[in-house]
Amino acid sequence: MIYLDNAATTAPDSEAVSAAIKYLQEQFYNPSALYGAGFAVHQAMEEARKNLLAKIAPDGFEWIFTASGSEADNQALFSSARRGNLVTTEGEHAAVYRAAKELENRGIEVRFAKLRADGSVDSDDLISKLDAKTSLVSVIHVNNETGAINDIAQISSKVKAYRPNIAFHSDGVQAFGKIPVVLPRTIDLYSVSAHKIGGIRGVGGLIKRKSFSLHPLIFGGGQENGLRSGTENTFAIKQFEFAAAHKFASLEQDLKRVRVWNERVRQGLNPEIFEILSSEGASPYILSVTARGLRGEVLLHMLDDAGIQVGTGSACSSKNRYSRVMLACGLDECRADGVLRLSFSARQKDQEIEEALQAMNACAASLKERTR
Amino acid sequence: MERVIIVRYCEIHLKGKNRGYFERIFMNNLEKALTGIRHEIRRPSGRYIVEAFDPSRTEEIIARLCKVFGTHTLSVAYQVPADLEEIYRAVQLVAPQSGSFKVQANRADKRFPLHSMQINAEIGGRLLAERPALCVDVHVPQNTVYIDIRENGTALVFSELIKGAGGMPVGTSGRGMLLLSGGIDSPVAGHMIAKRGMKLDCIHFHSYPYTNMQAREKVTELARILAQYTGGLELHVIRVTHIQEAIHKNCPEEMMITLLRRFMMRIAEQLACRVGAQCIVTGESLGQVASQTVEGMTSSNAVVRSMPVLRPLVGFDKTEIIERSRAIGTFETSILPYEDCCTVFLPKHPLIRPELKKVEAAEDRLDVSALIEEAMASLETLSI
Repeated sequence: MIYLDNAATTAPDSEAVSAAIKYLQEQFYNPSALYGAGFAVHQAMEEARKNLLAKIAPDGFEWIFTASGSEADNQALFSSARRGNLVTTEGEHAAVYRAAKELENRGIEVRFAKLRADGSVDSDDLISKLDAKTSLVSVIHVNNETGAINDIAQISSKVKAYRPNIAFHSDGVQAFGKIPVVLPRTIDLYSVSAHKIGGIRGVGGLIKRKSFSLHPLIFGGGQENGLRSGTENTFAIKQFEFAAAHKFASLEQDLKRVRVWNERVRQGLNPEIFEILSSEGASPYILSVTARGLRGEVLLHMLDDAGIQVGTGSACSSKNRYSRVMLACGLDECRADGVLRLSFSARQKDQEIEEALQAMNACAASLKERTR
Repeated sequence: MERVIIVRYCEIHLKGKNRGYFERIFMNNLEKALTGIRHEIRRPSGRYIVEAFDPSRTEEIIARLCKVFGTHTLSVAYQVPADLEEIYRAVQLVAPQSGSFKVQANRADKRFPLHSMQINAEIGGRLLAERPALCVDVHVPQNTVYIDIRENGTALVFSELIKGAGGMPVGTSGRGMLLLSGGIDSPVAGHMIAKRGMKLDCIHFHSYPYTNMQAREKVTELARILAQYTGGLELHVIRVTHIQEAIHKNCPEEMMITLLRRFMMRIAEQLACRVGAQCIVTGESLGQVASQTVEGMTSSNAVVRSMPVLRPLVGFDKTEIIERSRAIGTFETSILPYEDCCTVFLPKHPLIRPELKKVEAAEDRLDVSALIEEAMASLETLSI
């Protein structure tokens, strides 16, 4: 099988699993325990926190472990959008979008900024939606469907220039470990997840500017400075640390490799069938295309049979048939129906990309013929 | 004092000389429904007694038996020696504390010293004296305490009649091939026909890669729910992708559904013959969708040569079907949003009144028998 759905989840970094496995077995202790072995696990966890944070943020930020990227997004929104209005974008991941909808049900006004055709936010539209009552702005860093990169440093500085006390959050799940990021001080909260870069599922992080005030979403034993209770998953945390160390060490090199594949697929797909949706400036890890007039999920099944696993933006389902984000990018239903998402891992081989490319062209041509 | 369950059946007593046959099948179905639960079933005349089970599983047993067709009512009873004191002890357990009541005794064993009226009076009198909030109402009581003196020296005491599934034991009315889609109607149609005693096979058509695995799993789940009523069934899955593609390529767009249904009927008939089923059952309801017109039914009936096509829902409104679907427990699964026959080929304006001659003319452009043969080769059968 050739796996091209790495934006959904990546294969766990097995070296990192081996290095961290002792925290699942002999070093199983609760990091809050007061005896020596517990404290040792606590120290190991603090080391992971420090190392992970150093990858992305200079001094002035702190790292809260959560159980997922979705949880980090939810905590950011429910903590900061407590009054007035929340301004976000139509291109958010469901973890922000559905949380915003829930806030709307609870009486918070939510304003969605428009997207450009490539899935990035129209930042002028976003700024025009701010007012004296805006409490939070949330903008996804790398769009998970098109790979479009929002310039969150610039957008957040515009937001802070408009009014410094508006909180700024960004969902960085598809950016962390994949594109170079240094968090500027204009960003208050940033969500990340382990399993998109070789970590295992069950751990994520909410990075917070130090003086920024955050409320917990989960109450209990007071772990993570009271901001996220629940006994920490120290195995997953250590495995995340090791996987991230590998990923960050080769970040630039990986980016180059993936960019070559991305370009190869862009050039090699049959232009009579496929239209490339991701812009040239998008994260090369994600390439969204549409097969006009064909259905994405049908192509997905055919590719699956041919040994290629990809993602899709549509489904053979009467509900949620089209991707909300794709429609917000301005796609008509015919094009939204044919969306496929390829997402790469730097560990792939050139040959795999070639095979996948040939299979995509062959399957699409066959489907086009069969349904002509 | 042992807890037992009394199972009373309906309609079987109408069957005259065939009664033994019906009773045996019903007994087997009861046994099948209780697979995995330790129990014994006795068959004294006119009813079945489930006993020797773990009392903590009473509710589970009742829930399972309630789904066995042929069951009229069920009661959870105490079985005691036929002795007035013992009987009264059981009555104390089942009788209400307040409200109106009556005692209704039935004395099959005429050796018991009191006759029915005397038992009613004696037990009723004791209860009244013990529970001052009770009053007697022999016409429309809120509660009835039943005492059944059996011929084997035991008595059954109970107060509640639980409604069973009704109908006839599955297996007493032949075997049918149900066209099971993923929708709301076909499981209800299957349930209705099984209720009349028919053993069911289900056939499901999918068109992978145009439909997905979730849609297929949904149909398997619907079959599992139906199987609780039918004591198991066979689910046959057939791929009709190439048939749809061939129709799409060679025939008028608006005839897709009409022609596809004719293929489905032919395949269902072939399979029915193969497994020994004697009819085809569908969930069609007159006028519900474009293909379910009398002309549409004529067109699909025309290819079925050797057996009737039963459409138990033909006169039902959608709301009535939904109501039944909820009652039998298939609704929540039926409304899962996976498409069954993919809308990739769905015509914008399906033919509402297909003319048989035109349909047959359109079909002439297809190699019907080769397409059917290929579809039949994709057959997978799951025992559920």
